[in-house]
Amino acid sequence: MSLEELTSYNWGIMTPEFIIVGVAALLTLIDLFMPKKQDRRILGWIAIMAVGAAMVSLAGLLGAAPESILEDTFRLDSFGKAFKFLLLAGGALVLFLAVSYKADEGMEEYRGEFYYLFLTGLLGGMIMTSSGDLITLFIGLELLSISSYILAGIRKHNLQSNESAMKYVINGSIATAITLFGLSYVYGLTGTTNLLAIAGTLQALADAQHAYLLGLAFLMIFVGLAFKLAAAPFHMWAPDVYQGAPTPVTAFLSVVSKTAGFVIVARILISVFAVAATEGPGSIPILYNMQDYIAVVAGATMIIGNVVALKQSNIKRMFAYSSIAHAGYILVAFTTLSSNFFYSVWFYLLAYLFMNLGAFAIIQLVEAKTGSTRIADFAGLYRRSPILAVVMGILLIALAGFPGTAGFIGKLNIFIGAFMVQEPHYVLASVMIATTVVSYFYYFGIMTQMFFRPAADDSKFTKIPVGIVVVLIITVAASILLGVFPDIAIDFVNENFNQFADFLQ
Amino acid sequence: MMENAWIIPLFPLLSFLILLLFGKRLKDASAYVGILATLASLVYSLLVLFERFSEPTFKTSTEWLRIGDISLTAGFEVNQLNALMLVIVSLVSFLVHTYSKGYMHGDERFPVFYAYLGLFTFAMLGLVISPNLLQTYIFWELVGVGSFLLIGFYFYKVEAKAAAKKAFIMTRIGDVGLLIGMILLFWETKSFEYSEIFQAVEAGAVSSTMITLTAILIFIGAVGKSGQFPLHTWLPDAMEGPTPVSALIHAATMVAAGVYLVATLFPLFAASETALLTIAIIGAFTAIFAASIGLVQTDIKRVLAYSTVSQLGYMMLALGSAGYVAGVFHLMTHAFFKALLFLAAGSVIHAVHTQNIEEMGGLWKKLKLTAPLFLIGTLAISGVPLFSGFFSKDEILIAAWEGGHPVLFLLALAAAFMTAFYMFRLFFMVFTGEARTPMKNVHESPSMMTIPMIVLGVLAIIAGYVQTPFNHNLGEWLVDGNEALGHGHIEGPIWIMIAATVVSLAGIYLAYLIYYKRSVARNWLSGSGDTLHTILINKYYIDEFYQMSVVAVTKGISYFLRFIDVFLVEGIMKGVAVIVQGLGAAGSKLQSGQTQTYAAVAFIGLALLAVIFVLTGGYL
Repeated sequence: MSLEELTSYNWGIMTPEFIIVGVAALLTLIDLFMPKKQDRRILGWIAIMAVGAAMVSLAGLLGAAPESILEDTFRLDSFGKAFKFLLLAGGALVLFLAVSYKADEGMEEYRGEFYYLFLTGLLGGMIMTSSGDLITLFIGLELLSISSYILAGIRKHNLQSNESAMKYVINGSIATAITLFGLSYVYGLTGTTNLLAIAGTLQALADAQHAYLLGLAFLMIFVGLAFKLAAAPFHMWAPDVYQGAPTPVTAFLSVVSKTAGFVIVARILISVFAVAATEGPGSIPILYNMQDYIAVVAGATMIIGNVVALKQSNIKRMFAYSSIAHAGYILVAFTTLSSNFFYSVWFYLLAYLFMNLGAFAIIQLVEAKTGSTRIADFAGLYRRSPILAVVMGILLIALAGFPGTAGFIGKLNIFIGAFMVQEPHYVLASVMIATTVVSYFYYFGIMTQMFFRPAADDSKFTKIPVGIVVVLIITVAASILLGVFPDIAIDFVNENFNQFADFLQ
Repeated sequence: MMENAWIIPLFPLLSFLILLLFGKRLKDASAYVGILATLASLVYSLLVLFERFSEPTFKTSTEWLRIGDISLTAGFEVNQLNALMLVIVSLVSFLVHTYSKGYMHGDERFPVFYAYLGLFTFAMLGLVISPNLLQTYIFWELVGVGSFLLIGFYFYKVEAKAAAKKAFIMTRIGDVGLLIGMILLFWETKSFEYSEIFQAVEAGAVSSTMITLTAILIFIGAVGKSGQFPLHTWLPDAMEGPTPVSALIHAATMVAAGVYLVATLFPLFAASETALLTIAIIGAFTAIFAASIGLVQTDIKRVLAYSTVSQLGYMMLALGSAGYVAGVFHLMTHAFFKALLFLAAGSVIHAVHTQNIEEMGGLWKKLKLTAPLFLIGTLAISGVPLFSGFFSKDEILIAAWEGGHPVLFLLALAAAFMTAFYMFRLFFMVFTGEARTPMKNVHESPSMMTIPMIVLGVLAIIAGYVQTPFNHNLGEWLVDGNEALGHGHIEGPIWIMIAATVVSLAGIYLAYLIYYKRSVARNWLSGSGDTLHTILINKYYIDEFYQMSVVAVTKGISYFLRFIDVFLVEGIMKGVAVIVQGLGAAGSKLQSGQTQTYAAVAFIGLALLAVIFVLTGGYL
């Protein structure tokens, strides 16, 4: 690759990534030269500004035509832009939680990496949204994963945090291995790692034996990535990791990491398997042939997530299962692949981002106050702080998917999508409804605690950190706004992303 | 101004939210939050009304949700009726908010009361600016919720609890009709928008049978909300709520929602003779039926409650006789004088701590302000000339006569006689003569309570002059630009006005003879047998009839269903619950904390998928 070629690329389309990587490097340096025992919170605020700047630069790129650089390894299409917004918004809100986090047990205020590891993780996710190549996809995935492993174990004197990191590394490595194995099949059959080139080769695939091998490859890639989504039965790491990790990290895992997981699944599934023919050109694509496998995983994920959540007494474990359940709902959209697919996934992740991060903000507050994460700690919250209780109440009914909230519209899109295709997925849709009903029980369990149980102590919540206040205002406003005026999101997508038509170009 | 009219309902909503969150801390200051919020709504509503005088109707809506090719919209509209209703609702609500500061003083749940009032006002204001049926229905139900909460405000009283439940159930029965009618209309016209529905009806796109059917179904909703026969029984019971609530909800606003709905959908009803006739008959019957029950009630609030039912019947009669203007006009005047009567009754109750008129008497001297105000209200409702009720009632009688319903006209005239009689019976028993039980410490209410009454008193006198036989300002403004609503004024023979006056004065004179002069025995009509009296005091045994028929049958069915429920459904439910719980427990148990297990489960999962794939040869 000559110098002229390098300079001829339109590097402008990577501006958001450059900002994040630049600030992450800068923070590392500042961290190095700061006095040893000085509060590093300022680094967190700089990181927030960096994410903000990245969002602004991304907004500047909204009108740009789809373009790819670096020999098609990095492409900025409407899918990339849309999901990058989600990742950046989630990253910013998580950082607000992080700067409000009360450090303890080996994670004193002067541990700067707590802040910039979020940035590197975020960068990994962003690379994935814009990858046109299996290798860069994988690099992005690993960058996100490794950052998350360290973050989970950052409270190094805390036993649970250690356990959390350890389990995450082991399970994550297993997942990586399986994914890579599957990807190697794809490479072996096509001789290239470039997604568009792969698609081109597979479209003309005439050999049924190859299609058979590709089916196996599909299963392995899907299962490997299902770890990242925490889809059943590959979800079992999630509750332990979520419980042990510091709360901002848990929030990061449940939102940013999960969004990135869906991004990579969409990238590989749609660009490779949705075009690979089963029996020669023009025949049914492999992905449609494998729908039932995704359906089974989606159904199992919804059932296991919601049902096991009923039995939890720890709020973070409960939210781990709740996040598993939400992944199940989104997988329903992946199964049905309606014409509304991209939009319904995007909207659901958007709604979920706000509802879930808002809830985690409250969890973090209550945890800081009581020192534990039992659901029972929410008892009498209404008496101690009516505002917090009502805010949490709104977020919970949004998570439960009540009309008038963003969660409802998100579920409705996916639900209707299940009927918009030629062969409607009645069973999956009914499972979705039934498990949603089950979810009311555990969400309302928290409500009961907050509103009807007496408080163990009556101390008020004073001095709520500003980061938390920001998160709560944004998330509650968004949860309601998107529920009452879903057209805001529809118009935004229609105006800027042209129904994601350039995904496969 | 009009383009921002959506903000009017938001003030009370804001008050509701603030009080919900900070009510405990604000304590008595809660009242000011509510009062300021409704004052803001009132001021804005007045501005909107004044602007509407000179400008055309403003309507805006945006797409709210699109599913497939069906598009649901949300928005708001300011036409003549809406603008008028906005002012009526926000004015009465503002006055009731102010009045309650004195009346509810010292109540433990004072902030909660104001929070509920805010919610209710929000719902009612939202209802009157809705431009489509779906939005109307949402607010319609929200109004029901607000009313339920307020009737049951004294939830520790058994009667209040029962009344709240009854109100909710009875109105729900009507709402089912409304819902079905609404869905049918949507089915036929593919829209919830009023304007589009009217266009479809006008263009003949809907068959006449369907118009009649939907119109009557929607009218059933109005019957429930406006306490028309046979769904009227909840309204008198609703008097268990605090008196300001009775004034706001069960006199001026919520019960008027049914009349408002019929008025809003008037072009639909006007397209069906049968529907109009149904409304007229139900209205006229309710008017005389409720008035006759009102003759013998001894609870001050119940007398007023039956008079409300009866007056709402008048409004329905007017609308059913194609007297759109008459119905809306009476809705307005009634809102003022009935709110006045209720607030004055509250002031009396506040002073003497009883609601039984048999125990009162001679209060004229003690309540120097309340008594004359009550008299104004009584004169207005009785239709005494020059008071507001006289003009609006006259319009209704003319509408009924000119609409070709002589029988209904006579019924209405008879009801007018009864109204004048029982209202003055109430007045004489409460304010004249001697106290029948010893009363101590009877004193006038604080100015916080009397000032709203004075405002309403003035309105109860002058509100009628916007539409008299000599000027038809209101009517012409109301129907301006919409021919479907009929004429701004219906010319009628002069003898109707004379007859109405004579009838009303005769009723007053009879009440004067019996209850003031006592020259006629109280039981001169019913004689010693007292059968009539017994029937009336038992409200025609309607409640008992429901108890024995509808309730008994329902109970029978419900016992049967309960049997199924207990043994079949609950069995299945329990089974499901046990399975779900068991699954949950199993899932938790599997979650042993051993990473090896996790990996093993994952590998088993992958292996299973792969094995199925291999066995099926890759094709499912």
